[in-house]
Amino acid sequence: MTLLEAETGKTYKVKEIATDDEDMNAFLFRLGCYEGEPITVVSKKKNSCIAVIKDGRYNLDKMLSDAIVIE
Amino acid sequence: MRIAFAGNPNSGKTTMYNALTGRSEKVGNWGGVTVGSKEYHIKKEYTGDREVIAVDLPGAYSMSPFTPEEGITSEYVRTANPDAIVNIVDASNLSRSLFFTTQLLELGIPVVVALNKSDITSKEETEIDADKLAEKLNCPVYKTVSIEDKNNGLKEMIEKAISLAGTMQKAPYMQADIDLHDKNAVDAEDRKRYDFVNKIVAEVEKRKVLSAETTKHDKIDAVLTNPIAGILVFALVMWFVFWVSQAWLGPMIADWLVGYIESFQGWVAGQLENSPAIVSALLADGIVGGVGAVVGFLPLVMVMYFLIALLEDCGYMARVSAVMDPIFKRVGLSGKSVIPVVIGTGCGIPAIMACRTIRDERERRATTMLTTFIPCGAKIPVIALFAGAFFAGASWVSTLSYFFGLVLIFLGALLIKAITGYKYRKSFFIMELPKWKTPSLKFAFRSMMERARAYIIKAATIILVCNTVVQVMQTFDWHFHVVEEGAESTSILASIATPFAVLLIPLGFGVWQLAAAAITGFIAKENVVGTLAVVYGLTAFIDVDELEMVGGANTVAMTMGLTSVTALAYLFFNLYTPPCFAAIGAMNSEMKSKGWLWGAIGLQLSTGYTVAFLINQFGTLFTEGHFAAGFVPGLIAVACFVVAIVLIGKRVRAHFDEQYDLHRKLKKTEGATA
Repeated sequence: MTLLEAETGKTYKVKEIATDDEDMNAFLFRLGCYEGEPITVVSKKKNSCIAVIKDGRYNLDKMLSDAIVIE
Repeated sequence: MRIAFAGNPNSGKTTMYNALTGRSEKVGNWGGVTVGSKEYHIKKEYTGDREVIAVDLPGAYSMSPFTPEEGITSEYVRTANPDAIVNIVDASNLSRSLFFTTQLLELGIPVVVALNKSDITSKEETEIDADKLAEKLNCPVYKTVSIEDKNNGLKEMIEKAISLAGTMQKAPYMQADIDLHDKNAVDAEDRKRYDFVNKIVAEVEKRKVLSAETTKHDKIDAVLTNPIAGILVFALVMWFVFWVSQAWLGPMIADWLVGYIESFQGWVAGQLENSPAIVSALLADGIVGGVGAVVGFLPLVMVMYFLIALLEDCGYMARVSAVMDPIFKRVGLSGKSVIPVVIGTGCGIPAIMACRTIRDERERRATTMLTTFIPCGAKIPVIALFAGAFFAGASWVSTLSYFFGLVLIFLGALLIKAITGYKYRKSFFIMELPKWKTPSLKFAFRSMMERARAYIIKAATIILVCNTVVQVMQTFDWHFHVVEEGAESTSILASIATPFAVLLIPLGFGVWQLAAAAITGFIAKENVVGTLAVVYGLTAFIDVDELEMVGGANTVAMTMGLTSVTALAYLFFNLYTPPCFAAIGAMNSEMKSKGWLWGAIGLQLSTGYTVAFLINQFGTLFTEGHFAAGFVPGLIAVACFVVAIVLIGKRVRAHFDEQYDLHRKLKKTEGATA
């Protein structure tokens, strides 16, 4: 499933990052968002969510949330 | 000796830089406040009388840049050979920060790690074993709290950095010798680096509160980033800022200040009683009067700067950016465009520079082009003057000015989107939401005083010179004879401004005085007020006792010969035409394209003209039942703008198709052979 389908407050593992944009993938990597790393959605709306990656909180729009596949 | 300050965005580099150098560079609680490098010598009390230059750099997550301002940092540490690097690490986000740290340690430049924001980690009862970390990284680590005046750890840290200059450290992690063009190999290598970092963090950090736990701050964030509630809150907050600064507290202080300015002017006039009339006119009316008129509005600007500084310091800006993203995206901008717009309420130049944090080039240029539609601090005196003179000080004038500026940004963005043939392109938005922090009154006060100082300096230099020149040009004709009363239109100023005034007839203010004020406004927008004061011989616009103009608002209104419709047209013309030359210069260096720069100036000129034209003509139609003078010529001018925009759009799109249609060349050659 993708980030917007996640249950809030539950920690998942990143399965795949599929933004089709190499620079964006690399940027997410540097934040610590890459395959195998934990990710937690603390709140979500229809078109965006707030996720915890490592020790930081980020607001991600729908396009980016949809590109982060978790399990 | 040079020491570079590098670290992740929002780790507190500039706060530390300010503490060490005594400067007051802009700080704020979001990533991407600093967008260029700055340097200054560190106070002697820290360096033991040695000359050490601190270089503050924009935040970066790693050595490979993602946005333009990140590139400045990696470029600097790679090529400028600083003698040492202070790597500022946000102690509350150790796991992410150390990735960059390990890269810096490989450069062969001595590194000292400053575990900054240690006060936050101790509050959250997160324990970090600094000694163990130093051992693992093979470099000195100091806990620092830059916002404290004492026991902040800065002295020890900087002394260590100075003593290490010229030495070598052995990097704890060295990138393996891989083919840097092989994406998979690079990825695998970066992953290994992160594994190395994760292992260190696991050993040195003990957290009592896990980051992933939902806190009460998350509940606040959920509301503030909610598309409906969040935007309502933002509108309310901004309305409050404008109301307090421009309708309540600001004018209250201004009244008090203007009393002093007036008595000073009276005193100067008294001193000059026996000097020639020309000298007293120049000094008392031109210089003291014109500059005084501008300085009189300083309290409004200061209160506004203070409140904006509080907003920037608490962490709200990142939330605003997040909540506005969907709306801005719809018109072809991004949520990141909000930050320049909010900064732009203070000054257009830092606003234009703040656009560097926007990754997409088109979005970045479009934001640069549009951000100055939000009235800046220098335009506050203009708004306040017109609100006071023509609308009895009504606070809706200022609210409307800002709101309309925002509307123009949206419309302009849509226009740019149409012209540039913007095709569907993935535009991702990610914004770190920094931890909330109680805004520091001390910092807000300092930031306010810094801006006030700049405002006064500007008034005492540029505006003073302009007013003097205007006064002289108005006093003399081309033969350098003093212009006689009743023959004002023979003055140098009148003869220069009249041709421009003719162009402004369709807008309802085609007189040379108003044209002259609008023109001097391009040098600095405060000049509009200063010049009006000089050319109409009106000084000290705000009264001491009441929130009304000296001698009643009507005196000012009558002298200028404007109706409330034409006054609004003139105000909006000044607000939405191109910004001052300094801001245009900033646009030039950010856009890096002459085409975009001229496009921006053209768009701003035609916007200002069209808005004033519509207000004047339709306002007059509404109030007097007929169109105002010059309707047809004005309409032709507006039609010319439209045609120009359509033509430019066509040309740009044709070029765009050429660029992206890879098959076209092939088709052409096929056609030729057949």
